[in-house]
Amino acid sequence: MLLEISLLAGLVMLLLALFSGYSLGWANKTFHVEVDPKIAQVNHVLPGANCGGCGYIGCADYASAIVLQGVSVTKCPVGGESCAKKIADIMGVEVKQSWPYRPVIHCAAKYPDRLKRIPYAGEATCIAANLVSGIQGCVYGCLGYGDCVAVCKYDAIHIVDGLSVVDYEKCIGCGACAKICPRNIITMVPFKMENIVAIACSNKDFMNDVKSVCNVGCIGCKACERLSPIFKVANNLPSIDYNQYDPGVSYQAVVDKCPRETIIYVGKPSQKDKDAVSKEEVPKPVEAQFKTTVDSTEWRG
Amino acid sequence: MDLIGLFLLAFNATLINNYVLHYFVGICAYIGVSKRIEMAFGMGCAVTFVMGVAAMLSWSAIYFLLQPGAPLTSFIFKTIHPGSDSVVNLSVLNSIVSIFVIASSVQLVEMYIRKFFPALYKAFGVYLPLITTNCAILFACIEIMKHVGKNAVEPWGLDKALLLAISAGMGFTLAIVLMAGIREDLENADVPAPLQGPGITLITAGIFAMAFMGFTGIDRGLAVLFGR
Repeated sequence: MLLEISLLAGLVMLLLALFSGYSLGWANKTFHVEVDPKIAQVNHVLPGANCGGCGYIGCADYASAIVLQGVSVTKCPVGGESCAKKIADIMGVEVKQSWPYRPVIHCAAKYPDRLKRIPYAGEATCIAANLVSGIQGCVYGCLGYGDCVAVCKYDAIHIVDGLSVVDYEKCIGCGACAKICPRNIITMVPFKMENIVAIACSNKDFMNDVKSVCNVGCIGCKACERLSPIFKVANNLPSIDYNQYDPGVSYQAVVDKCPRETIIYVGKPSQKDKDAVSKEEVPKPVEAQFKTTVDSTEWRG
Repeated sequence: MDLIGLFLLAFNATLINNYVLHYFVGICAYIGVSKRIEMAFGMGCAVTFVMGVAAMLSWSAIYFLLQPGAPLTSFIFKTIHPGSDSVVNLSVLNSIVSIFVIASSVQLVEMYIRKFFPALYKAFGVYLPLITTNCAILFACIEIMKHVGKNAVEPWGLDKALLLAISAGMGFTLAIVLMAGIREDLENADVPAPLQGPGITLITAGIFAMAFMGFTGIDRGLAVLFGR
């Protein structure tokens, strides 16, 4: 009796297994979706950081965009050239020389240079502070509350004296800081050299209007435009055409000519810069003591 | 047709004994996919659909194969042992058959969504297979198990089983969509740092559950109102 019942139970399970196996097999055939095997290959080559630096939701999304829509293979800022080359091999296309994109802060004004600041005791984020009219004289420049610092996953941007400064040694170019900045003063720039010339101002006002709010901002004098063809001044603000930027040419003359501190070099320090400061004494880094150090968590309830 | 009975059953499963907020089953999907309202609604619909399919299939399996004296198994047993009057009872297999049925219907739904709703498939990501292990669905099947068979206190037909599953799924959808609405607004709220993320979500869910306790006892009142 027990044996028969056990056999019957086994039979029931077998029947169910057959039934569901058959129907799933049928569904697999009926609902089959063709997937290009190249997508999996490209996805395997991509770094898998899912940072969104390429402009797609994640690496898998970018991989399918490459294969299905023929998007450029050089968009991955993390993988860089080697990754682009591997993808190009899979896709059978040739890759031209590509430049890594890195953020540039279009503001050079530290706290002492920014005039007409008012005391602000609201929420310490740029997005909130940006809503307050007249928070500082310059309505274009950096606010210094560090939304970009908070959003950076790679500890590559910091507030120094009230101004965001990118640590190009750590930066991978995901562009999160450029997206979060409420004043849009961070842009992604093709870094053709380790050390590149950039415009460090966003102020679109002219002469005395700028001088009354900032010690270092661009006054729209057009000196740079006269010296080099890659500089174009529009709305009293120069911009650099990085497509024409030649890594072989020195732009030191333009940097020296600028009467304000608007045109500067950004990027990793060159060997010359390192040599210049190599004799200076560097203070020893202080280790944090966890028993006494309070972290930056703020109680704002 | 006992319409009032059916209504009370559906009302009970949707609001009073809401699966998420009263029985606390199906929490993983509830917390995991409640970040955006559209995704939460899609998840709710998928769970409702799987619940309905699984409830129908497991009711049929239990009714025809597993309950004491089930017609199909009894027939097989009688052909092996003609003249035997013992009752075949395979109800030990109830749970495992339900799990089996749920797993295969989730597979089916996954293929179906992948073919016809690619955007939804992409949005679900890992959470679609999670429905397989969604305890809310197994819970609905267990609930149905109690009401199938000759020994059950209040035997249900296929209609009542299906109604219970669909209204329980609707209750799940309601809870997860409400939660998603609150979580979308929470992103703009100034939550104290130690509570950010999962902490505030679980607190919100707890307050929700307490709010839904307010429905307790309404079913008795409604039964009295309808004169039962």
